[in-house]
Amino acid sequence: MKTHRKTLAFSCAMIIMGMLLSVQYQSTNTAERELYQQRPENLIAMIRNLTDKRSKLSLEMADLSNQLADRRNAFEDQTLVAKSIEQELSKLEIVNGSRAVRGRGLEVTFLSTSMVQYSDLITLVNELWASGAEAVSVSGVRIISSSYIYYRPADGGLEITVSNQPITWPLKILAIGDSNNLEKGLTLPGGFIDMMAFNKIYPTLRQKEALELPAVNLSQRFDYLKEYVAAENTAAQTGTTAAQGS
Amino acid sequence: MLRQSLRSVFTLTLICFMIGGLFALYLRYAPSSQSQTNALSQRMDNLVSTINNLEQEIAAYEGIVQTSRDELAGLENQAQTEWLRKLQEELHGAKLRAGLTPVTGPGIVITLDDNVVGQKADPNGDPNAYIIHYEDLLAIVSELKTGGAEAIAINEQRLITTSELRCVGNVILVNTTRIAPPFVIHAIGDPSILADMVTYGRLDPLITEGFPVSVSEDQALILPAYKGELQFKYTTFS
Repeated sequence: MKTHRKTLAFSCAMIIMGMLLSVQYQSTNTAERELYQQRPENLIAMIRNLTDKRSKLSLEMADLSNQLADRRNAFEDQTLVAKSIEQELSKLEIVNGSRAVRGRGLEVTFLSTSMVQYSDLITLVNELWASGAEAVSVSGVRIISSSYIYYRPADGGLEITVSNQPITWPLKILAIGDSNNLEKGLTLPGGFIDMMAFNKIYPTLRQKEALELPAVNLSQRFDYLKEYVAAENTAAQTGTTAAQGS
Repeated sequence: MLRQSLRSVFTLTLICFMIGGLFALYLRYAPSSQSQTNALSQRMDNLVSTINNLEQEIAAYEGIVQTSRDELAGLENQAQTEWLRKLQEELHGAKLRAGLTPVTGPGIVITLDDNVVGQKADPNGDPNAYIIHYEDLLAIVSELKTGGAEAIAINEQRLITTSELRCVGNVILVNTTRIAPPFVIHAIGDPSILADMVTYGRLDPLITEGFPVSVSEDQALILPAYKGELQFKYTTFS
């Protein structure tokens, strides 16, 4: 009798413990709690960005499945394969800046009298990507993943450089993309333009129908980086090292 | 006899304690979904669940994109003719430069976290002074690029040309993906140059202010591929 009761008590305790743990786990899901701490308008902004990303991803899925279909035809139709490779390549050429591009977008101009800092330009370029820019150039230098904006001493002062090229005045930053969204991204309350005005810098924004951005002048080369191939696939690794060298 | 009753008292105490704990937790967390049925919390629930759903869908889509890209890469070596093989090699090189392949190489690992200790010691101070902001990450990333970093990832999000860093409220996003502290930045390049750039750069004030920061060199980092989309609607070639 006693043992029965004890067993019952023990099982009850265990059940409660289990429930306790599960309740705690659910309620302290930090990723979700973090969202509850935000203001509704911020959550709405996040939803807008995520929805945009989802629709772009579904386009990407369609692209890739078309490519897969084309490339499975390799044995029958090589021109089809070549076409699909060239399509993929052209996207990568935009990302890598290996070809000059054109399109509508936004032009941001700073006059030589403005006291713009190199860090302002880093912020600006980042804001443009965040507002959906597809390609960006600063003072005629195309921005790619390895581009850097910095400064160096010149004529007793400092000059801003973009991937080691000194900028020229008036300084123009060009971004291809939805020109309305690009402008909105910079003119949000408390955004880039407000921040600049606080420092008495007043760049002009102009939406343009046709911007021309140059290709990068140096193609990217790697001294440290190699493609990572999982260990079991060594045959492919030698293949890719050869491709890298080309 | 006395001993046994003592023992059952103990057991009972334990059980009561647990029920109590459970009830306390219930009171603390359950009302957010039950009694607070006012319009605002309802709206918050809707917004948060929309975000959760979108994030799950996006993760699923990214998985499909990744699988398709891997499958395409697997078909690469089947080229029959010389010109097609050349084209595929060109594609492969372009993918490597764009950040669409996992990469390996020497470099540094930076970890930084919110200054929890500092905040506890200063409960009435501005909490913003004790958290890492996206501006800090942007500054560090820029310094790494100036130091010649060949590939960078933050919390396993690979940075490509179009990658942005932003914040919504106090949530930091990279590639539209939420990331949370501790932040771990991997950068491939010359380890000592990269370490110097950040140590004498943005990390310096953070360390002075008491943020937990570490920088370590590594001879064989592995950075993941970019998982997101590459969609261009406005760009054509000149």
